[in-house]
Amino acid sequence: MKNEKAITIGLPRGLLYHRYKILWQNYFQNLGFKTRESAPTSRMVMEDGARLAPDEACLSEKIFLGHVNSLIGKCDYIFIPRVANLGRNLDMCVRFSALYDTTRCVFWETGQKFLTCSIDVVNGQREEDAFCALGQSLGCSVRDSKKAWKSAKKMEEQAWDSAVKEQERLYKSQALKILVVGHSYILEDPYVGGVILQNLQKLNVIPIRADITDREYVIKHSPDLSPTCRWVMSRELIGSILQHRNKTDGIILVTAFPCGPDSMVNDLLTRSIHRIPVLQLIADSQSGTAGVETRLESFVDIIRMKKGEL
Amino acid sequence: MTQAYLGIDVGSISTKGVIIDDKNNILSSAYIWTEGDPIGAVKKLLRLLEKDFPKERCKIVATGTTGSARKLTGVVVGATTVKNEITAHAVGTTTFYPDVRTILEIGGQDSKIILVENGVAVDYAMNTLCAAGTGAFLSSQAKRLGIEAEDIASYALRSKHPTPIAARCTVFAESDLVHKIQMGHTKEDILAGICDAVVANYLNNVGKGKKIISPVVFQGGVSKNKGVVAAFEKALGTQVTVDENSHLMGALGVAIIARRTEARRDFDFSVKDMEFYTRDASCGRCPNNCEIICVYQGKELIDAWGNRCERGAMLH
Repeated sequence: MKNEKAITIGLPRGLLYHRYKILWQNYFQNLGFKTRESAPTSRMVMEDGARLAPDEACLSEKIFLGHVNSLIGKCDYIFIPRVANLGRNLDMCVRFSALYDTTRCVFWETGQKFLTCSIDVVNGQREEDAFCALGQSLGCSVRDSKKAWKSAKKMEEQAWDSAVKEQERLYKSQALKILVVGHSYILEDPYVGGVILQNLQKLNVIPIRADITDREYVIKHSPDLSPTCRWVMSRELIGSILQHRNKTDGIILVTAFPCGPDSMVNDLLTRSIHRIPVLQLIADSQSGTAGVETRLESFVDIIRMKKGEL
Repeated sequence: MTQAYLGIDVGSISTKGVIIDDKNNILSSAYIWTEGDPIGAVKKLLRLLEKDFPKERCKIVATGTTGSARKLTGVVVGATTVKNEITAHAVGTTTFYPDVRTILEIGGQDSKIILVENGVAVDYAMNTLCAAGTGAFLSSQAKRLGIEAEDIASYALRSKHPTPIAARCTVFAESDLVHKIQMGHTKEDILAGICDAVVANYLNNVGKGKKIISPVVFQGGVSKNKGVVAAFEKALGTQVTVDENSHLMGALGVAIIARRTEARRDFDFSVKDMEFYTRDASCGRCPNNCEIICVYQGKELIDAWGNRCERGAMLH
């Protein structure tokens, strides 16, 4: 569509990338731009991020900044959208409202150019509008931008549907099943949630991700547990637990330290879920995994003992 | 020859060992400090265990290791079973207290609660990665007051008005404590306050949302502190049992697990005289730069771990 083939847009592999990667990749590619993703999280990425991050940043934000750091100077723009909310009572954590500005400040002196768009449905900025404006800011026409978003959105929906189907299939397995509850940017990160999922598999357990679920259904049902919770990603997880808890043998709540929404929601969950073992894990920038291994191992043992398998 | 089973529990603070027979009778037991040298502690422990062990009529046919150094110890002694300490404690306690409904445990660096129904653990919780309100906290605060950890109880039990101390976070607790000392509160009241704080912290964190039903058994190093036991009884309004062998419960549990597990290998006390050492290596084959621990017996590399992927595999 567009002729400026040379333009490369960097996508840091952190935070909302994990939720929207298919949409973002396809959108930019549909408009004729190249995308460049940072490499998966490693210790170096995390340490760079921790060094650069402002005080009080959560582990996931530190990791995100590490990813941005690895893209500096390697692409024309780095894309960081501002996502305030997805509708009424569907708020995002405030970090996602500030992320574009926070990141720009951290890398101010590098001269790197950043690209953003604002999604704030409550104030009339829908995703479609945001991506239309984004395309225009890159010199594309309104028509092309809309078309690129629409086709990318379709790809995203198809990929999501098949991912959900695959997770739903896991609930039918006869093996020990554990529902792993955490935001996609925690569970998809090999350095954080990946360690947990891998360890569970080593223990012959099937980990099922609570975040990959029928979003419409779970948002509708999350008020059954909390009518006042307004964080959209927390609501998805709450609804998913309500929908699936009777089909699993245990629940693991995974949080990146420090997380405001999770600290409140997980407290609510641990107090309200009964009859099924719940384990809480808090991921910090510790490099050792012994604490995590011990916790997972004993959690699985307790479940097996309960089922008379040990 | 009677068959016997060895259980070794190497924790951050102390190292425990026990040899039992088929009927859970203790044939030999020992309890020493780890002092930052798990391999050295295990060798010393084995020397102590060998002394009371009736070699002429018993033979150790299975060995289990547990505690935070279970993996390292397992390699050194050639264990048939390596099990985490939570499972070991649950098995040990339910074997000796079949009626138990709640197991409270506070160790040197972690704390947990295990809920039991019909002799089977059905639910549990463990402190998240923060060590507030554990044995390490108690001993560091006692040191600040110029008192040995073992003497905390004798002071605390004399107090009539425990001083309220914020124990949500160890760092805040310390500053609160210093303030209270300077205000003129007595050591007795402050130490009783610390015991209350440990219990309050435990019940609010680990015990959050859990229904604590009696009989309650309390174990782990901190259970030896009568001040904390009294604080638990006050907070829960029920009797709290501390077994005379509560410090050995992990070792007992893992010895029982070793017996129940099929694997068999005769244990030879000569390992106590062998040379083992560990070496830290940085993998360096990718940006993760994993810290790999290599265990050597003499010059031979016998095991290694710590790598996140195959690139760092030192063996196989």
